[in-house]
Amino acid sequence: MRSSARVEARAAYGFVGPSVVLLGLFVFVPLAWALLISLQRTDGFGSGTFVGLDNYTRLLGDDRFWRSAGNTVLFTALVTPLSMLGGLGAALLLDSALPARPVFRSLLILPMAVSGVATALIGLLFFDENTGVLDSVLSSLHLPEASWQSGSVPAFASVVLVTLWWRVGFNMLIYLTALQGVDPLLHESAMLDGASWWQRLRHVTVPALRPATFFLLVVNVIFSFQVFDVVFVLTGGGPRDATSVLVTYAYDQGFAQRDQGYGAALGMVLLVVTLAFTGVQWRLGRGRDADQ
Amino acid sequence: MHLSRRRLLGTTSALAGAAALSSCGFTGSDDDSDGDGGTASGTLTFTTWGTESELAGFRSAIESFQKSSGATVKLNAVPYEQMFTNIDAQIQAGNPPDVFRVPYYTFGAYAGAGQLLDLSSHLESGFADRFTPQAWAAVQNSGSPFGVPHHTDTSVILYNQDLLSSAGIDAVPTTLDEAWTWQEFQQVAQQLRQALPDDTYPFAYNWQGNGVTRWLSWLFEADGRFLSDDLATAAIDSDAGRAAVEFTQGFFPAGLVPPNSSVKSTTYAADLWYGQTVAMTFGGAFLLPDTDATVDFEWGATFSPRDVRAGGDFGGNALVATKGADPELAAAFFAHVTDAEQMRDFCAGASLLPTRADLVEDGIDFDVRPDLSPVFVGQASTVQAQDSGQVASPSMSKIIAVLQDQLEAAFVGGQDVETTIAGLSDGIQQAVA
Repeated sequence: MRSSARVEARAAYGFVGPSVVLLGLFVFVPLAWALLISLQRTDGFGSGTFVGLDNYTRLLGDDRFWRSAGNTVLFTALVTPLSMLGGLGAALLLDSALPARPVFRSLLILPMAVSGVATALIGLLFFDENTGVLDSVLSSLHLPEASWQSGSVPAFASVVLVTLWWRVGFNMLIYLTALQGVDPLLHESAMLDGASWWQRLRHVTVPALRPATFFLLVVNVIFSFQVFDVVFVLTGGGPRDATSVLVTYAYDQGFAQRDQGYGAALGMVLLVVTLAFTGVQWRLGRGRDADQ
Repeated sequence: MHLSRRRLLGTTSALAGAAALSSCGFTGSDDDSDGDGGTASGTLTFTTWGTESELAGFRSAIESFQKSSGATVKLNAVPYEQMFTNIDAQIQAGNPPDVFRVPYYTFGAYAGAGQLLDLSSHLESGFADRFTPQAWAAVQNSGSPFGVPHHTDTSVILYNQDLLSSAGIDAVPTTLDEAWTWQEFQQVAQQLRQALPDDTYPFAYNWQGNGVTRWLSWLFEADGRFLSDDLATAAIDSDAGRAAVEFTQGFFPAGLVPPNSSVKSTTYAADLWYGQTVAMTFGGAFLLPDTDATVDFEWGATFSPRDVRAGGDFGGNALVATKGADPELAAAFFAHVTDAEQMRDFCAGASLLPTRADLVEDGIDFDVRPDLSPVFVGQASTVQAQDSGQVASPSMSKIIAVLQDQLEAAFVGGQDVETTIAGLSDGIQQAVA
């Protein structure tokens, strides 16, 4: 037994080892390095000057940081539930006897195969204020055109809409997989008890999807906090910082202005917020699972 | 050019931005000019971005240098979007290229940080005399040359002849002396505004992205400056500064420019021009090949407007060497690529302007639309050394951010002139502190 346990342990370490090494090399070492940089004033050339928590103190009085943080939270608050609801709706449709289901599934999953930059470029075709498809359609219908690039609210809406287009397919895929794992006998029992479609959805389907929902919630929030490429290409954070988010602001500080210490501090704040949210969700999720 | 940021994006979004800020990707070497000289006396690594025409020019110059010197130059061509994150990362890792290409407004950041080779004692006697004063001023740091001005570019007005004619504008200035004054330019723009449909605009200005430095042309035309002579103090709080802000701010409420063409817009002036959203655009000679190949309307070029004086932005790029490079070999390479024949061929092929005084004097014929060459060369002659010297400030990257924030607030945020000047002045002062 002991010998077999040792073999098993060695095998386990053998399997886990490469991942741990890779994680350490490409995640934890850079993280520690970023933390170190965030405590310095540095343009990246030569050794920086240790300034303690100055970069973090500076954040408190930085209006652009608060604007970017607010935008990130708003973006997360909009995109997370909308993409999950959209994904759930699409999954329910595609799980039913809808004609041409494979075609619809492919159409929804297709954006997942496209990079964020390409997605944003496609978004530009729609939202360009001068030559975009949407304003042309609005104009042809004699409706007022929207200032997708020069108006704060429309610009923010364009970022949200493009992200939803990109992300709903992923949510749909996870929900669809989860739906296909729900025991059909539960639905049959509920139907025999006279439950309506809505009641079955609320009391059978949604609870059965809880693990998938928990996973998607955490992942969507992390993805939303990390949003960069769509904003960078579609709006550049403008107009007037209306779509600036924490990662675009960190990029701007760290690379465009070469204030790498401050940029790293922004990144660390983002990391802490993301970890804190994930931690809270994890605890709540575990609690719910325990209740069940 | 501004859209393939994939590598950087992937890195940055990998882990909440934090990890990305401390890990930069390197581009694999694209060694496409391995030396054929078996008796190479040394090797230079040279990193640049460029259009096909520019890269062809570099390859040609490298080939002739290798033949004449026996040295080897390894060309590493990368996309512009990766260029300086890679260079920065390579410098930080202690493995930079020997030579790289750098815009004048970025040059100061490297020279000021002590990363470049001081060429003072390595260039041949009288080397500076081959360049125009404004070009030579753009590669100075603390009184010493840290690079060579390889080429320049400056903005003129490209116009759509059909749209101008539809507004009754049948003649444009054909000499520098006849260039529109600010008031005349404004009248032309207003005439276009009245004649054009609502969704077509009189002009677009090319101040998007790092092109915000091109706004400085208006400041220079008003005979203003943004830094003092010693580059240590903000100098934009002046009548000229106010005039430049007030005049350019007026473009937006009057509908003279598209609302999505402000300094932080992701829509570039050139795209608005290609799409006929605007009747005129401000742009450099580098647009000529694309315009010639893309548009199907009749078009031409005329000089930028003047106010107290004519002026222009000092665009273009320098070649610099890093500290680890062989100084004599780098200096020899720089001497070769700024040789009259090499520079003429490069600039003619790539539609860029020379920095050599003799070539500026004699003129140059672009391969594409050579008839427009005099307009660009003439406009470049309006750039003064004091203008280009300011753009070479080591603090330029921070000053660019200040210009972007304040001008965006003025143009599309309704921020008044006094507040904008105060913001610019404070921001520039902090940047140079």
